[in-house]
Amino acid sequence: MLDLMTNAIEGISDKKVTFADIRQESRVGTMLAVVNGALRRFNRTNRAGTVARVLVGECWGQASTTKEATKARLEMLLSEATKMAKASAKYSRKDIDLSNVNSEQKSVWLSVKEDPQDVSTEEKIDFVIALDKGMKIDDRIVNTNTSYQDGKLLIRLVNSEGARLEWDELRIRAFANPVAREGDRMHYDYDVVAGQTGYELIRGVDINEFTSRIAQGALDLLSAEKPPSGKMTIIMDGDTSGIIAHEVCGHGSEADEVVKERSFLTGMVEKRVGSDLVTMVDDGTLPGKLGSFPYDSEGTPATKTFIIEDGIFRGYMHTLETAAVMGVDPTGNGRAQDYNRRIFARMSNTFFGPGEWSTEEMISDTKDGLYIIKPMSGMEDVVGGGVQVSCLKGYVIKNGEKQQLVRSNALAGKVLDILATVDAVSKDMTFSGGTCGKGEEDWVSVTSGGPHMRAELIVGGG
Amino acid sequence: MNLSEIASKLVAKSEGAGASQAEAYAVLAKTSSIYIDDNIPKIADVKEEVGVGLKFITGKKIGFTSSTLLSESIEDVVERAMSMAKVSAEDAKFVSLPDPKKPAGSSDRFYDQTTGEADSDVLLERTMTLVSSAVSDNVSVPNGVLRASSTDFQITNSLGAEAESKSTMVFGYFTAKAEESNSVGEGVQRCWSRNLNDVDFAFIGEKLKHQALDVVQAKGFKENWKDAIAVLAPSEGSEMLGSMVGFAVSAENVNNRSSPWTDKVGDSVAHESVTIADNGLSEKGLLSAVVDDEGTPMQTTPILDKGVLKSYLYDSYNASQVDLASTGNGIRRDSRDAQGSFSSPVRCRSTTLEIPASTKSIDDIIGEVKRGVYIEHFAWPQADPLAGTFSNEIRNAQLIENGELTTKIKYALLVGNLYEAIQREVVFGFDLEVHNNRVMPTIAISGTEIVGQ
Repeated sequence: MLDLMTNAIEGISDKKVTFADIRQESRVGTMLAVVNGALRRFNRTNRAGTVARVLVGECWGQASTTKEATKARLEMLLSEATKMAKASAKYSRKDIDLSNVNSEQKSVWLSVKEDPQDVSTEEKIDFVIALDKGMKIDDRIVNTNTSYQDGKLLIRLVNSEGARLEWDELRIRAFANPVAREGDRMHYDYDVVAGQTGYELIRGVDINEFTSRIAQGALDLLSAEKPPSGKMTIIMDGDTSGIIAHEVCGHGSEADEVVKERSFLTGMVEKRVGSDLVTMVDDGTLPGKLGSFPYDSEGTPATKTFIIEDGIFRGYMHTLETAAVMGVDPTGNGRAQDYNRRIFARMSNTFFGPGEWSTEEMISDTKDGLYIIKPMSGMEDVVGGGVQVSCLKGYVIKNGEKQQLVRSNALAGKVLDILATVDAVSKDMTFSGGTCGKGEEDWVSVTSGGPHMRAELIVGGG
Repeated sequence: MNLSEIASKLVAKSEGAGASQAEAYAVLAKTSSIYIDDNIPKIADVKEEVGVGLKFITGKKIGFTSSTLLSESIEDVVERAMSMAKVSAEDAKFVSLPDPKKPAGSSDRFYDQTTGEADSDVLLERTMTLVSSAVSDNVSVPNGVLRASSTDFQITNSLGAEAESKSTMVFGYFTAKAEESNSVGEGVQRCWSRNLNDVDFAFIGEKLKHQALDVVQAKGFKENWKDAIAVLAPSEGSEMLGSMVGFAVSAENVNNRSSPWTDKVGDSVAHESVTIADNGLSEKGLLSAVVDDEGTPMQTTPILDKGVLKSYLYDSYNASQVDLASTGNGIRRDSRDAQGSFSSPVRCRSTTLEIPASTKSIDDIIGEVKRGVYIEHFAWPQADPLAGTFSNEIRNAQLIENGELTTKIKYALLVGNLYEAIQREVVFGFDLEVHNNRVMPTIAISGTEIVGQ
């Protein structure tokens, strides 16, 4: 297949085409869902497609298909992509020089202890049912939802600079969600384990601890109070600080948002953006993390990128194109959801770096505030640098002690104001795997997380 | 092979391999797109995807598998589905696939030829019309996408159900950035339609520009207003209300006991001002089709009539658990992305949620508000579907004082509980708009809190 793809690329004769690549993806995966103790869904997929990209001036044409990738069809995809790129290029204002991109010829295969494909379906079903039933610790748990997913992605990529790459990615995930009800009041909790790893991740789950903890979490929320509203001192858990790192600093540091000066972090390299306790990294090379990969969707090796170091902004996450425009090396952040979607600058594993505090010290050092745990969602504000993070729960802190539980809330503020107020960061780090959309779509696997952080934020509780 | 032949072959081979019942969904999705980046068309894209989803049933054991058939044959798909059903656990609640029924019209009832045949050249021209309207000395369009898609699906099962439905959809998402004396503002506009020619791109561009300029002029809200009335633009209110009601009336959630409206049919769950229907045959609906994605004719199902809960929404699986008929709400397709619908079995969800238009304009609604806020854009509009709580960051809004719009504001939180809010009078406008899988107008709710920063 790589030969076929290379031949098609080498057959491009149009001199206006300055760069081209072809990528073929094949995904196989299993999904199991259990509801209220019974298997509800058992899905397997085999989804494959081929996409060709062509660059003319600064405009791309892209054509994809799920039909068999014959020589004629690959040539047709390139021809369609060229036609579209040339039509758009009448608006082009400059040429992009991608002649220095990675031209490796390499195969990279992930090594795991236990490939999920070698584990019997019956064993996986038993695991998901056990996880689901484990949450039924009280009659007030009225609904339990559990899922297991594994997926293997095989990618082949060639480009006009001579790259011939093939690699695989393997991701695995288990999710559990109990719903508690008392009268008309309903609340839920959740937890997830996920990684770029084998079935050993699932074998490491302590089912009793995992399920009883989140079931109790949902039950406790039935008597939780409404949180206070207004600006206050917040201690965020690692997952919540990770959402802020990802949604606000992360999306604002994706270089496609910088080259067009949309991001509030445009022109901030070497400027102070937070207290000297703030360090932030995007690292696609971390072993086992959900957002890791050997190459991005353009064939650039994953790297570790320091975005903020001791409060100073250091740099952005790049695709081939943004790196060429800004005159720096690509960072391996050009990612696409799949063969149907575009490539643009995306995060991998993004997190704030650790500090020197213990979580207990941070709480005992806080006179009046909120300890916020479990984010539910976040939304980027690349233009304004604003924060919206919705969280499941928290605790009021009074005189250094964790007191009553409060229910769902949202954190808000301007991130540069928030990072300037960071005055305590914990040693402990947590990471959560999930998916990230950009502009409301284009979902890719990522990890966010980090340490507990203390800062001043706005809180609103519903 | 065409879609009908692929689906029939999958079902026949499954039956031959021992399936007691089988269901095949075969789909061809074609999409053309233009992505805007910094005022120019950055990526022009065309994609064509054929996919199948096969449900293989032996007794009460079910295996579902999907494929693009690029790297495997129909026989491989059947073999995999059969092996899955063998090792699957029994689903005691499964009764049967749906019986064949007459579709609600001809297969192309919801297909618009102009949209289905729109290529990247057509979209390029429409998109640049929008960009030209929006761009000025201090306003740019950094991001945008316009897609036109056609979906042609065939559903076939071993009980004789055999139906096809073709439809089209247009989705657009654009942002504008305005700058004035060191202050920046962002506008966001989306468009959803079944017909490309129904979209006024120049108007959207103008609206985008003015929204961005409004945000530049807006001031950060510093106060805290309790018991305020929130007037929500259709894009924001429909997402909050539609997603919450859609969750509460899905029979899947009702049967699972996770819906707050479980066992409440016939009860008054909202104020008499609230009437909502699910319309699978909506002329404007992006999921409209002559059959749902498991072959049941689509229909209109009243959900709330003057605040009284009239019905839940059923697919065949959830309907059979309570001895009712499916309401045609077994859905695989998505209202903004035509690709990938074959990769999962149906889910029980709303098709197009519709609220009838009132006679009130936005000005009429605002004129009745003593103290509140008119919100055009949240960071993301959402409400907890279990508890109804919401706490959404306001990105573009204007205060309402004594019936008049006053200060433009941004960076505040709107806090409240939507299940509780709809038990008080809700005021609706006449300005129906399509957003996602909803056709809803401006919505005004009471009892909210505006928390300033």
